[in-house]
Amino acid sequence: MDFHQPTSLDQTLALLAADPEALPLAGGATLVAMLNAELIEPSALVSLSAIDELQTIEAAPEGGLRIGAMLSHATLAAEGRLAGGHAVVRQAAAQIAHPSVRNIGTLGGAVAHGDPSSDLPAALVAADARIEVAGSTARRRVAAEDFFEDYLTTALQEGEMVTAIILPAQPAGAFGHYEKFARVHGDYATLSVAVVLAMKEGKCSFARIALGAAGPTPVRVPDAEACLLGSALDEDTVQAAAALLVEACDPVDDVRGSAEYRLMLVPRLLARALGTAAAA
Amino acid sequence: MIIEEEFSVDAPLEHVWACIRDPAFVAPCVPGCQDVEDIGGGAYRAAVKVGIGPIKTVFKLDIEVLEETPPNFARVETRGQENTNASRLTAKSELTLTASGDDATRVHYKSDVQVVGRLAKFGLGIMKKKAKTLGAEFAENFRLAAEKTAVA
Repeated sequence: MDFHQPTSLDQTLALLAADPEALPLAGGATLVAMLNAELIEPSALVSLSAIDELQTIEAAPEGGLRIGAMLSHATLAAEGRLAGGHAVVRQAAAQIAHPSVRNIGTLGGAVAHGDPSSDLPAALVAADARIEVAGSTARRRVAAEDFFEDYLTTALQEGEMVTAIILPAQPAGAFGHYEKFARVHGDYATLSVAVVLAMKEGKCSFARIALGAAGPTPVRVPDAEACLLGSALDEDTVQAAAALLVEACDPVDDVRGSAEYRLMLVPRLLARALGTAAAA
Repeated sequence: MIIEEEFSVDAPLEHVWACIRDPAFVAPCVPGCQDVEDIGGGAYRAAVKVGIGPIKTVFKLDIEVLEETPPNFARVETRGQENTNASRLTAKSELTLTASGDDATRVHYKSDVQVVGRLAKFGLGIMKKKAKTLGAEFAENFRLAAEKTAVA
């Protein structure tokens, strides 16, 4: 297996275009674990660690933030600009595994891996993030909601990589919250609920919700969000929204919980997430 | 893990049985099936390519029909290994066909699948979902092909 450490994005994209079996290496938190488990056999690794433009976080021209793909979860967890509605992303990053993993794992790596039980995909869908993707011939942006396609399968085409995540400006007065339920601290979620919520005079004026570990991709149901609008988030309304979400879920049965158990968590965690965001 | 599914084909029982016992008919319906060889005595060899995201493999399968009661029932054992020998799978399957009226057949299958080796390190939950998706693709391919040949 070859190892490359290019210093520019163009060199990186040329290397990826030249060898379809090569994989870009971000932090390696998951990729190296998969190599060790002999689950993947790339012909080459193209390290992204020496590319400066993947390391920056800046205000996006259209409002909001543009976050370079190589920023670590630890950096995001401590990023003060991830406030208000964007706090959902900061909180999700802060709850990924343990400090050692958060120090090496990256935003772009987690996004490209596309594991629906990891923390960032649901948070990014709730925040209506755009995934910036580069290939050797073009760059494009894909809505997070469309980017995640199936288990470990994303909209990335051969030779493409994630370069940045764009978080649009969130509605005025919005707060984000990421509610994660796991067997033990640091584990993958059994189920998670990411919300961005705004309240106006005691009534819900904006809601965007995505569930993690609830199906092959983050689960979002616009009708469930619509049913919260104008309500005071009373129990009946929240339960009605939860019922709509449950219908769209298709979770796995595994050591972290049966599918049935995960579905039972949806109304409970949703109520908790909305309550926390509303009180923020 | 147990995988159990059922689907319906708009074709008479005898026709569906003839289709399902013909490896040349079944092979193109199996997602990722690269080649199939009839080695006689109810035994077959096949290679099937499967993958989840970056995890990809080819399983070489030995398939043996251990028992059959035409046109309703077959018991099949499948043993497979990766090219690299890194994982092995065994599947004990039962296939049951039931006529529902003159022109429709219900196909029911139940498999007890065991995977050992490197792929077993990967989550069983996702593997089961993948098996279900592949099963649904097979059912749809098979249904369309069997209904088309029944008309012809």
